[in-house]
Amino acid sequence: MWLVVLFVVPVGFVVAVSFGTVNIVGAPVYGWHPSNYTPIFQSIYLTVLLRSLAFALATTVICILFGYPVAYFVVRFGGRYKGLLLGLVILPWFVDYLVRIYGWVSLLGDQGFLNGLLHTIGMPGSPPLRLINTPYAVIGGLTYDYLPFMILPIFAVLGQVGDALIEAGKDLYGTPAQTFFRVTLPISRPGLMAGCVLVFLPTAGDFATAQLLGGPNSYMMGNLIDSVFEGGGYWPFGAALTGLVLAVLFVPMLLYVRYALRGGAVLSE
Amino acid sequence: MSEADSIDRAAATATAERQEVGAEAAVAVRPPSSRLARHRRSRLDRPRFLYVVMAFVFIFLFAPITLVAVFSLNATHSLATFSGFSPRWYEQLIHNSALLSSLLVSLQIAAATTAVSVVLGTLLALGVVRAERRWTRPAQTVMVWPLLNPEIATAVGSLLFFTQFGLTLSATTVTLAHITWAIPYVALILRARITGLDPAMEDGARDLGATDLGALRLVVMPLLWPTIAASGLLIFVMSFDDFVTSYFTSGAGVPPLPVAIYSMIKHGVSPEINAVGTLMMIFSVGTVLLALGLFRLGRAATKEQAMLDLTGSGVT
Repeated sequence: MWLVVLFVVPVGFVVAVSFGTVNIVGAPVYGWHPSNYTPIFQSIYLTVLLRSLAFALATTVICILFGYPVAYFVVRFGGRYKGLLLGLVILPWFVDYLVRIYGWVSLLGDQGFLNGLLHTIGMPGSPPLRLINTPYAVIGGLTYDYLPFMILPIFAVLGQVGDALIEAGKDLYGTPAQTFFRVTLPISRPGLMAGCVLVFLPTAGDFATAQLLGGPNSYMMGNLIDSVFEGGGYWPFGAALTGLVLAVLFVPMLLYVRYALRGGAVLSE
Repeated sequence: MSEADSIDRAAATATAERQEVGAEAAVAVRPPSSRLARHRRSRLDRPRFLYVVMAFVFIFLFAPITLVAVFSLNATHSLATFSGFSPRWYEQLIHNSALLSSLLVSLQIAAATTAVSVVLGTLLALGVVRAERRWTRPAQTVMVWPLLNPEIATAVGSLLFFTQFGLTLSATTVTLAHITWAIPYVALILRARITGLDPAMEDGARDLGATDLGALRLVVMPLLWPTIAASGLLIFVMSFDDFVTSYFTSGAGVPPLPVAIYSMIKHGVSPEINAVGTLMMIFSVGTVLLALGLFRLGRAATKEQAMLDLTGSGVT
């Protein structure tokens, strides 16, 4: 009996607060005002939405390209340094999010370290190299923010499977490429999928990175939402923007949950 | 543990035997050219490009934060050239009363968030593991959802939710919003631990005459406390470091530290930010290492597994 009581109370709490999220579109408006959504379909906002998704996609792809080899390397060749290497991968994630972005600002800025370095090795007089306020800086920053989320789940799956299957693939005279594509990659798919979701979803909703590392030309949905709420805009419109982000991101979320329920790894986080 | 070890050893011996047999067979069967193939394979087994990628990723991961730490000690205002060690930016920090009161607010928020979410999260985890099936499925969905939801959407949701009920935005609303995502976090970490407990221990306690509550207090809780403490430390760091939720739900009062830093960065870089950032790094990383240690106390797991579980990335 105590189970039921102790269980329902906190769940009820979470449900109540989650509904705050669900209600965001309707709640402040009281009633049905689809007109809040119409300005979104103006081309500027659509551009921003598409840009957010493109940035998120690019970040996810880069995270796969770099995260997979790292996870693979740590699992297979980490040896007794496995724990240490994994720890080093996670460590930057626990450094405050803003401090990390600030690190990039101070590295790439016009008065930053890299430009200073270029200046010292002899490019005097030349205007500072445009590194910050570019879409590349934003994608780089986003990759930096979320790379551990790609490495960890892949590591978890590969680590659980162990070397035996991969070795077996080689014992059966598979070439390294065959072994990788027909054994290693398929068994690590649950981790890869989880990593993609964990990188793609928060990246698409990110705003501080684009705010500090990108200029107005690389604004993302998060920046728009921010400008409405913090800049004293029309709140229902901001809510509609948020609703749009939720609706768009709901698709990959749902796909992933379905995938997970069909027997893939259910990943928390 | 020892049992698992001996099984491992047995398996290793078996594999070794099999390999010997396999090697003989291979010598007999393979055409002469296979020596070349095997040579190439072993070289590609540790491809050089993996080392290159590893090195690159580690430089990528550590260059910016190392830079922040190094230049916090710079004697001049420059972030480009290092011109000698000096504690001046830390000294300036101590006299920055606005930033110090932000720090205090952040610590209060983190402490309150930790206290509430650890209690509720533990109860939620116990409930999810032990309750009837028809309850657990929806509960698990509710648990994972806030973690998958983009933080900005949750933050805006909380903002509207609070203003709806006429709450003035303040440190209190920030705390409430933090608790919302902290509860599922604690619950997920603890769920993994509770699932690993042997129900027979609780049954045993009941057989010996303990009440349900007694069994919980005397048997389950002592087994759980290191994990609970670890998740608490983790939540403390996450709440302390959180920016997005804090940004949207804090009002006109003293901003939490990350929000204060955000507006500082927006106004331009300064070594003072390096100094405060370095201190936050040391604090966060130290607390997380402590949490990791506690977590390993809670169950005999490998270092790697502990890290995975603690970051919620363990496969369940």
